[in-house]
Amino acid sequence: MDTLNELLNGFAAALTWQNLIFAFLGCLLGTVIGVLPGIGPVAGVALLIPLTLNMDPTGSIIMLCAIFYGTAYGGTITSVLLNTPGEAASAITTIDGHAMTKMGKAGAALTIAAIGSFVGGTIATLGLVAAAKPLGELGLLVGPPEFFALMVVGISLLVALAGKSMVKALISGALGLLISMVGIDPVAGAPRFTFGMDRLLDGVSFVAVIVGVFGLSEILSYRKGESTVVHAPGFRSLLPTRNEWRRSAPSMARGTGIGFGLGLIPGMTGSVASLLSYGAEKKFSKHRNELGKGAVEGVAGPETANNAHANAALIPLFTLGIPASPTIAVLMGAFLQQGLTPGPTLFTEHSEIAWAIIASLFIGNLLLVLLNVPLVGLWTSILRVPAPILTALILLFMVIGAYTINFSVFDVFVMIGFGLLGLALRHLEIPLAPMVLTLVLGPLMERSLRESLEISQGDFSIFLNRPISAVLIGVGVLIICSPLLKLRKPKALMDDPET
Amino acid sequence: MTTESTMTQSPTRARPARSVLAGIAAFGALGAYVLVSSVGLGLWTSLGPGPGLFPFAMGVVLAAMSVLWLLQELKRPSTTGEGADGGLVLAVVVSLLLLAALLDLLGFQLSMFLFLMYHLKIRGKRSWLSSLLTALAGSVGAFYAFNYGLNVALPVSSIPVLNLIGL
Repeated sequence: MDTLNELLNGFAAALTWQNLIFAFLGCLLGTVIGVLPGIGPVAGVALLIPLTLNMDPTGSIIMLCAIFYGTAYGGTITSVLLNTPGEAASAITTIDGHAMTKMGKAGAALTIAAIGSFVGGTIATLGLVAAAKPLGELGLLVGPPEFFALMVVGISLLVALAGKSMVKALISGALGLLISMVGIDPVAGAPRFTFGMDRLLDGVSFVAVIVGVFGLSEILSYRKGESTVVHAPGFRSLLPTRNEWRRSAPSMARGTGIGFGLGLIPGMTGSVASLLSYGAEKKFSKHRNELGKGAVEGVAGPETANNAHANAALIPLFTLGIPASPTIAVLMGAFLQQGLTPGPTLFTEHSEIAWAIIASLFIGNLLLVLLNVPLVGLWTSILRVPAPILTALILLFMVIGAYTINFSVFDVFVMIGFGLLGLALRHLEIPLAPMVLTLVLGPLMERSLRESLEISQGDFSIFLNRPISAVLIGVGVLIICSPLLKLRKPKALMDDPET
Repeated sequence: MTTESTMTQSPTRARPARSVLAGIAAFGALGAYVLVSSVGLGLWTSLGPGPGLFPFAMGVVLAAMSVLWLLQELKRPSTTGEGADGGLVLAVVVSLLLLAALLDLLGFQLSMFLFLMYHLKIRGKRSWLSSLLTALAGSVGAFYAFNYGLNVALPVSSIPVLNLIGL
């Protein structure tokens, strides 16, 4: 009953006109970011963090969450209409989504995707409501050694799943941790890796690094593409047939289950969820022979799965303080910048904010359906904006975003430097996801390691003497050693640009 | 060259790309630097772990992974990602560096206007009207929208004359 009351209070806060506007703006911006092929959800959310710094924490996080799950739908529009995914999680939708466009069923594909996204997102949010209290209470029992071990598992999973080579993923993870250590040491107060520069005493700006590594490097790696002609589907063609509805329902159910389950596991991105959902359709769908030729199941399953994943991935963040994917890691950075520490204490110290954000997820999912289906023509018109104008405007927002973090030109230079680093990492095929995750988790991980060792007076066996941390460390080691056991990875994981 | 001569040649062993070797060297050097620096920071204090312990561990990981990567490359050279368009990289990076250098001197509006005009008119070859309108919206428009709409202060010129005319 407590949970229901708190959720209702959350709705009361989320339904104020200011917060409704923030959710609406977030959905709008998220859809635009998802539509634009040049900018992914990680850079998109990071880019807009500075704009929310002056807002109250509730409105700010509501808007950023809406941007986050809005991108999951925006990417579908280009997948379906252009055969080009706006973001990685929608890549698999291109197969049947674009085939449906060629058959004159683009409208039905987009509507099914929107409804699937709503269903997956809403059910995953219900899961968050159910899990928040018990997991939060469990989380309160977790001490520094267990917390450290939990983060080891999260990072191990991401390292193991990111890219073709674990060696490169470990380099990426170590690089992120090193960047996070620039500045004043959190325990002894000693300056580290500041090269005598006062500006670096507060560390390297997280947002400038992310915008540089993910956003600017993406623009720097553009290659001349073919011009595309986009035709928006007419309003009448938006309604799927009764048969399409009937065929989509089981796919949505499977997509929800897969997306929700994978959202709870750190390291699993939305792309993995949509890929596995497509695999499930190939195995279980009654019309599996039509997959690849314009089957509605190929749109309904993956699109439901990636939105269920996006919302379920908030569960480990809210309850344990562990970001499950790179975009969630950026969101966690935004929480920290607002003075909110995600994790079990969020529900004890900032209960009203936590529940308002959860309630806004329901509202945002509904807003997305209302925004996306009737306005599909508007979204496709964004794609007709000439590339030089889009690139120039994206660069403009990157500069504003980097500058306004500390109102300092230094951060613009930081962004440019990390843009070049990101370009080099992309060229060397070093995955970017472990870096962003360790960048956020680095300070927390170091603090919990040092607190644990202080408790044990320097005895490292503390991690093995406590059952929960021993099991978690064991799981982490097993994951890192999995290549020795020659465990196979799905191919698409390797091709995921987000990782 | 005859078919026979081609067949009798020993198969040429692929070599790691130069850029990959440079990358490995850079990460190896960074790892070594971090190892040395973190020892200087102090690995252990009387109270427990020192500020250098965690960076030391990361230095070990970086150095060890660089060695492993080198061994892997020597055994089986990997492919690299597609090369970037050098002209685009140079144009974007140099224009961004100039913009950042001029932001405080010329102010946001003028420096951003010049930056956008360069990318729209010179690089993008858009029409004068389209370039001017977009550049004005992105510089003057964005300045007023952020300063007055969102309460986010963007820099103004440090040159008195420019400052006086509102730039």
